[in-house]
Amino acid sequence: MAKPVVIVVGADKGGVGKTTVSRTLLDYFSANNVPTRAFDTEFPRGTLKRFHPDHTEIVDITATSDQMKIFDTLNSVGPSVTVIDVRAGLLSPSLVALRDIGFLDAAKSGQITFAVFHILGPSIASLDEIAETANFMIGAKYFLVKNFINNTSFFEWDQATYNSYFHRIKDATEITIPKLNEMAYEQVEVASVPFLKFVANKGQSDEAANYSFVLRGYVRHWLANIWSEFDRIKLTDLVGSGKSGTRGGEK
Amino acid sequence: MGLDWARNSPDITVMAATPVYIICSPRPLVGKTLIARLLSEFLLFKNGAVAAFDINLKEPSLLDYLPDITETAEVDDTFGKMALMDRLIINDGIAKVIDLGFHAFDEFFKMSDEIGFMKEAARRGVSPAILFIADSDRLSARFYPILQRQIPPTALVTVDNEYVLRGELPSAFASGKVLHIAALPVFLKTYIDRLTFSFTEYLRSEKDSSSELHQWIRKNYFSFRELELNLILQGS
Repeated sequence: MAKPVVIVVGADKGGVGKTTVSRTLLDYFSANNVPTRAFDTEFPRGTLKRFHPDHTEIVDITATSDQMKIFDTLNSVGPSVTVIDVRAGLLSPSLVALRDIGFLDAAKSGQITFAVFHILGPSIASLDEIAETANFMIGAKYFLVKNFINNTSFFEWDQATYNSYFHRIKDATEITIPKLNEMAYEQVEVASVPFLKFVANKGQSDEAANYSFVLRGYVRHWLANIWSEFDRIKLTDLVGSGKSGTRGGEK
Repeated sequence: MGLDWARNSPDITVMAATPVYIICSPRPLVGKTLIARLLSEFLLFKNGAVAAFDINLKEPSLLDYLPDITETAEVDDTFGKMALMDRLIINDGIAKVIDLGFHAFDEFFKMSDEIGFMKEAARRGVSPAILFIADSDRLSARFYPILQRQIPPTALVTVDNEYVLRGELPSAFASGKVLHIAALPVFLKTYIDRLTFSFTEYLRSEKDSSSELHQWIRKNYFSFRELELNLILQGS
């Protein structure tokens, strides 16, 4: 039986695109036919649930009952992948909680596949989180996600600063999330549908929609770029699927 | 009657694809608006309807010549792109002509590549034709291979405008379809450049069909008809 996979998407800083990346992950697994469930820790009103209501449950990750709901069911539920969208400020406390309940040890011993997508915004405050989070990453796959939410850079122009953050953690893998056209992003927000459905011109219940062709094109192009990053890090191998070839979303 | 040679097309009733003509060059003043005018008038005459878009406001403009069928468009921002491209992608049976100014050339093709315009057009029964006006300068030589990578050979047409390219068409442009536009004497060029001049009206009113201008318009209308038939057959 395949090992359960837990992917935590988070950052302590707010507004860096955690939910956006979680949505792209859910779309990616959906297109690759990987059964997935998601937990939205933006308690009590979750943004992730608005886009993926069928697969998402809102939880308070600081509450023991909800921690049980997530982690005690890893081996018993159908979906092989659990994505947890951790709200701003809760990444470090969540990792502490995972250590305390022995989850990190289970990951270290190989019983569970554990990955963290640490979403970084282009600010020193955001980059300072790396060292703090890295302490918990023994036995985990650690992905540093550079989210280009605006046209700025991640201090590539200052190599010393850049290296001090990005090259300090030996086993971290960098992922780049390109910028999405603002109007396209807003239109998907208004539509409240997964990116995949937006591209396919469908509404929440799969009914035909009438989104702009131009905006759908921008989203498709952007999503394809992100998925190629996920392909590069062999995300489906990580979850034991290893599927390649035509995906549902590419048809 | 007198103009049936231009209007009659075999089996047009089976046409399913809507042609979209994009007249372009990365260079100013190579005759884009002239060709857009000719083509728009031909389509209006033959089909009774055409929708023309002017993204060429920094040069002599199609809007000045054909204000009744032309609207302005822009690709500088997302609103403009949506307004234009969401119209172009509709298979409504009305041919579209885009007079694409040199300043918008790069952004237009970058955007159309990014949003997958050619693929979506094929899916929806829309047949784009990119009419690239060749010139012997470095910009044209640089951009043409980029278009070749982006546009299927059947949809990329090189326009050999004799008025621009005085000599032979450079071999780099000669591999695909070529549409030849003969040069007119300067006095006739000045004559057709008047804002009130209409090619179709000239054909209708000029009794002497052997005149140079008459022959020139006829020849170009024939070329356009052939081009349109090819597009319709490809897209159907």
